[in-house]
Amino acid sequence: MIQLIISLLVGVALLASLYFFVRRSKASAEGSAQQLREARQTLDSLQFGLLPNDLVHRIFAREDLEYVLSNAPADVQSLFLSERKDIALGWVGRVRGAILELMRFHRGHARLYAQLSPATETRLALNFASLLALCRFLQIAVYLRGPYAAPGMVRTVAATAGRVCNISEQSLQFLKVKQLDPLNNTPSSHGASV
Amino acid sequence: MGIYIQTVWLGGLLIEGVILLRSVLGRSLAKYPLFFLYIASVFAASMALYVIARPSAHRLYWPKQYVTLFLGCGVIFEVSRHVFAQRVTLDRVARWTMLVTFGAIFLSVAIQAFLLPHWNVTTNTADLERDLRIAQAIALMTILFLTGYYGIVIGKNIKGMILGFGIYVGASVFSLTLELFVGSRFDRAFGIIQSTAYLVALAVWLVALWSYEPEDNEKPPSNSGGGYQFLAGRTQEALGSINEHLERTVPR
Repeated sequence: MIQLIISLLVGVALLASLYFFVRRSKASAEGSAQQLREARQTLDSLQFGLLPNDLVHRIFAREDLEYVLSNAPADVQSLFLSERKDIALGWVGRVRGAILELMRFHRGHARLYAQLSPATETRLALNFASLLALCRFLQIAVYLRGPYAAPGMVRTVAATAGRVCNISEQSLQFLKVKQLDPLNNTPSSHGASV
Repeated sequence: MGIYIQTVWLGGLLIEGVILLRSVLGRSLAKYPLFFLYIASVFAASMALYVIARPSAHRLYWPKQYVTLFLGCGVIFEVSRHVFAQRVTLDRVARWTMLVTFGAIFLSVAIQAFLLPHWNVTTNTADLERDLRIAQAIALMTILFLTGYYGIVIGKNIKGMILGFGIYVGASVFSLTLELFVGSRFDRAFGIIQSTAYLVALAVWLVALWSYEPEDNEKPPSNSGGGYQFLAGRTQEALGSINEHLERTVPR
């Protein structure tokens, strides 16, 4: 019976892989103008729209919660908590997005090298997978317990988002240099992409 | 039902002939020699089985399956060679996966033959074919995973080769598994699934390999090991710092 299940699973996995293979969109050329623009927009919205410390502190200020709990009626309290929770979830989503972006950059650039290290690539793939899972876990935690239930969580999420943002910024700096200098457009000269 | 299989068989022969003819006219024969060797072998074997009288054809069915199965591995090598052209490591990973899975299957056959006195490879042909098809499926999935993970662009010819071969291998894994577990009640369905899947695969190959199309031009891979090490090191470092933050955040 185990043999039957394993064989059928392999068959299903192969057919599913083929399905995704057929649906796979054509990969854009690494460093293309569109890719650069999209990455730039993502970073700008993170850095200037959501990441400034003051703004983060304001959004998640515990004083606001205390004020609302002591002065506002029950329905306003409920609305307040619901909105703050959405913001926290949005934050974790941003971190997740940044990790995905980092992963995309790494894979996109790694494929330009003839010789990769299978051990390093495997380790990186596992790290990306575990981080993405961790983000999902954070989302669940915030969803179930709310943004004020875990002290320090929001600050850490903000710091993490900022850190990933800096990493992506470095990638984009490199891409900008590459764009401006088409004569020096070889992978060996832009290894420090991430 | 017999008429259906006969029709599919003849249709298959016709398509195989057209594919081989187009390979010569379209000058793709020299580009994908292992693939066309596989098609030619299937064409010759199917033609021979069609002409030969029924009892002999039955005896020759399994040897023909093994020969085409072996040459089918050549198709996977062909795909890997083109998809990972100049990407030495990825090509090596795909080949090693294939060698390890096939090695494991032959090792298990040897162990069974040694430990089980009644077990005989000639009486367990379907069993062995299913295992070998599973090995092909794993090798194919490895190639699909690696190309998907690194976003490697695949041209129309190779895409068709992968799709057609994948459909046939997938259908074979299903039908051989069910044949072994359901028994003779599944014989008719087995014939229909196998022949239909092969006809679909041939149709895909005919369309995809009608004319030779070189692989999409992408920036050629760099041999700079230092550049890659630096890239991997920076990514690892970045991941480490994110991980550290998240681990502190998540209550354990």
